[in-house]
Amino acid sequence: MIRGGTLASSAAALIAAGAILVVAGSGAQAQRAAPLELKADASVRPWVRYNGWPARDESKWSTLATISSPPAPTAARKIVGQITGDAANGAKLVADRNRGGSCLACHVMGQSGNADLPGNVGPNLSEIGNAGRTDEWLFNYIFDARVYNPDTVMPPWGSHGEFNDQEIKDMAAFLKTMKKPAVFKTELDDPDKRPAPVEKRENLDAIENPGMWALDKAAVLWKTRGSDGFSCNTCHSDPKTAFKTWAASMPKWEPRLNKVLGVEEFVTRHAKVTTGLNWLMETEENRDMSVYLHNLANGAPISVDTTSAESKAAIERGKALANRKIGELNFACTDCHGKSANHWIRGQWLGEPKGQYDHFPTWRTSLQTIWDIRQRFQWCQVNIRADELPPDAKEYGDLELYLASQNDGLKLSVPGIRH
Amino acid sequence: MAEKPRLKIPKDAKKGELIEIKTLMPHIMETGQRKDKDGKTIPRKIINTFTCEFNGKSVFSANLDSAVAANPYMQFFAKVEESGTFKFSWTDDDGTVTTAEEKITVG
Repeated sequence: MIRGGTLASSAAALIAAGAILVVAGSGAQAQRAAPLELKADASVRPWVRYNGWPARDESKWSTLATISSPPAPTAARKIVGQITGDAANGAKLVADRNRGGSCLACHVMGQSGNADLPGNVGPNLSEIGNAGRTDEWLFNYIFDARVYNPDTVMPPWGSHGEFNDQEIKDMAAFLKTMKKPAVFKTELDDPDKRPAPVEKRENLDAIENPGMWALDKAAVLWKTRGSDGFSCNTCHSDPKTAFKTWAASMPKWEPRLNKVLGVEEFVTRHAKVTTGLNWLMETEENRDMSVYLHNLANGAPISVDTTSAESKAAIERGKALANRKIGELNFACTDCHGKSANHWIRGQWLGEPKGQYDHFPTWRTSLQTIWDIRQRFQWCQVNIRADELPPDAKEYGDLELYLASQNDGLKLSVPGIRH
Repeated sequence: MAEKPRLKIPKDAKKGELIEIKTLMPHIMETGQRKDKDGKTIPRKIINTFTCEFNGKSVFSANLDSAVAANPYMQFFAKVEESGTFKFSWTDDDGTVTTAEEKITVG
């Protein structure tokens, strides 16, 4: 509790502010809610993409906030007679990683692209030339596979303008030449035999996981006083006890803001009004605090509210967002982490939603930095050529709650460590 | 804030036992070979010396050079004959010396 005479007057003001903030609509069990900054955004505006991330502008495609991609075509395009294409150019295009990731990301395609680490999200096309497909079918399947299979996860390469008609004809001509089973250079190149990655590192060992160093920094932040003279420690002097399970109950619906708040946004908004400290989301301070607060709840099973009307509605919205096709490549979360989960996209393993939340924030060894779940969401979008949203976007709140609900019961182990 | 070194040493050991010591020093290990946006060389800033002493006697030391990766990690063995204190030090190019120590009980 707040002590010390010099702080008394501000302290009284704080408590008064807190007292007005009673959770509306929670019925007889109205409780005093934690003071939160309710006006300002919790992250930088306008949102600026992280340094080093692709600078592509994908604003013409749907995002998790807007629907702007053109609808799927209703019929296949007519191709009369035989396609004339340059099979040699097609062979180059299917392996071109600068054009949306290359066909090899999802398909084994014989020896094309030297068959280094092809994926197995889509069927093996090594013998597609023997399958008796018409030229029109081959052309349209690349141009926009949705005309044959509305549930396809394949990007609409032609409809979305990634490849022009002649390039698609070249690729179709190449496919017709593929008549022999793939021969792999090594067993690892065969995605059906490549073993699923297993994370064996000790994520809570500070020598193995530099993510653990955030805990020392957070311990200092905890006692850092803001302009009002208050620190986290002013009210929460025993964080180990007070936050033993708190992070495992987040994210949570916040009626005052009409959105779902995760730990990171809560920290920003709560610290702002109680201490004056400005720990915007995706700043180092915010990440360190998030690692610390999650770490305090390590071992606690994830247990988010899934029963209140507001939470149910948020989870339904999150589920709809997870199924929304977005970006130039036209992927939904569920395309990779549902329909294609437990497959390889190139050399990357696509995990199921369960197990994708209990270790966040996590250390990324490939990047030498900590990522929280919102930055992970943002990267998924930039990676599939969609514009990301600011980390405090309400859509991410809904998505995070939906993801957390799918991870119900898994025990927190933060900071995680992933490549 | 300066990063603190990480140590992993058994708390106790048998007389004459060979124990494993792991140390990690968070540090950028700037090589002095890189250039910034304006083409200017980024000055070298590395941990250039590491030492480990036990009860005042040198156990292990190393001179590090530009090619050593960030967060230098040292793993080595030592034979302990008596209880005492391991002292470690890391010397930065700028002269800063970071030290740490850890006690071990030999029974």
